[in-house]
Parts: sequence; structure tokens; C-alpha cells
Amino acid sequence: MKLDPVIRDQVLATVPRLRAFAISLCGNVDRADDLVQETLLRALAHIDSFQPGTNMPAWLFTILRNLFRSEYRKRRREIEDADGRYAETLKSQPEQTGRVEFAEFRAALARLPSDQREALILVGASGFSYEDAATICGCAVGTIKSRVNRARTRLADLLAIDSVDDFGPDHATRAVLAGGRS
Amino acid sequence: MKTAKTVSLTPPTSNEDTGEAPDAMGRAVTQRRSEVRLGREVQARIGQQLRAMYEDIVSQGVPQHIADLVRRLGNDDEVS
Repeated sequence: MKLDPVIRDQVLATVPRLRAFAISLCGNVDRADDLVQETLLRALAHIDSFQPGTNMPAWLFTILRNLFRSEYRKRRREIEDADGRYAETLKSQPEQTGRVEFAEFRAALARLPSDQREALILVGASGFSYEDAATICGCAVGTIKSRVNRARTRLADLLAIDSVDDFGPDHATRAVLAGGRS
Repeated sequence: MKTAKTVSLTPPTSNEDTGEAPDAMGRAVTQRRSEVRLGREVQARIGQQLRAMYEDIVSQGVPQHIADLVRRLGNDDEVS
């Protein structure tokens, strides 16, 4: 198989986002990297079914999601390690975000139902349109919109955000004192 | 819940800018408006954390073994 260098570069350019999506699905870097590798093997074996000029990221994300749903999810270990290896892969905490707050956020995200989490990540983090996210998830655009809305509402509830002030260090301190269950 | 009002040393001026009105209906509107604003700020913050978390991984780039895999598969070699 000789791969068009343009196509190959499109694939490679998508890998970082694909990997971030995989990690958010698996909650475990090693499994996520296996999933990405499997996705690429499958994609390149079926590269003829990719229409040049169409959306390469959406195509690869669709394959990865289907693989995850069909194989990985059966193992029922997803998000088990949301704070272990996953945390280790995060090189740095974003400056504007406290460490505790960031950990709280990831823990809250991990508690979302998986369909809501993936919709939120596709739209809110990976920058896909609602239409692309619907294609990737194999559902209607309205379904994606409602999942994203429910995910946002649930996240705000889980983070017990009653006021903007709660985002500050005081909230983080209280969360620690309360054993993370404020 | 914010209840305390700021005491201003400057003479009171028109309330129009603050959106506060003395009647009950006006207060209801003010409250609803602040809830909407709070919702927007909360959601903006969630969006910011979401992207920060994602970008942290994206910024790690392509792991070497994956880059090698793609190049190898795309290069006519017999695939093991």
C-alpha cells in the first residue's frame, strides 16, 4: 500500500487530537495509545473508503469511537484510572487553574454518563461542529445538542458551583477539608 | 448568595445602569439577569478547563511509535 503523502500528513496532523479524545474516553494513557494505534491500522487498511477533501478528523474520530464502543467498552474498565496514569500524563497545570480545582474538574468529568462526556469533549474541547459530532457519534444533531447541554448542567452541579466566587482557592480549600465531597 | 449591598460614598445616581428597580417586578428581572450571567460565567469556566485539559494532551504531539507506524504503513513495506 502506497499512501498519498498528503493523506498521510492529514492523518498525522489529526493524531494529537485523536489521542486526547482517546484518553478522555479510556481515562488511561496506555489503553488510549493502543486504541489510537488500532484506529490508525484500521483507517490505513481502509484508506480507499476515505473521500479526499472530506473531513479527515471526523473520519478518524468515527473509527476510533466505534472501536472503543465495540471492543474497549466491553471490558468495563473505562475511567477506572481517571486520576492515576491520566494525571501523570498532564505535564503542567494550566496557570489559571488551581491544582485541586483541576483535579476536581477531571473527577467530575469522569462521573458524567459516557455519551454526555464524549459529546461535550467533541464539541467543547475538540472543536467539532454539532453536525460533525453527530456524524461521529452516529446520532441526530439535536441529540448531540441535548447531551452537551445536560453534560454542562451536570458538571456545574457536580462541581457545586453556586457562585462565581466558588471557583477561587476558597472553594478548593473547602473541598479538601470536606474530603472532596462538599 | 450575595446579599450585602455596596455602600457608596458618592451621591446616588440613576439606577438605570445597574438594572435595579425599586418595584418587585424590577427586582425579579435583576435577579434573573444575574442568574443568566452567572450561568454564562460558569459555563465559560467549564469550557476553559475542558480546553485546557485537552490542549495539554494535544501539545504532547505525535508519540514516536505512532509516527513510525503511520510512515511504515504508508510506505509500501510489507506490513508485519
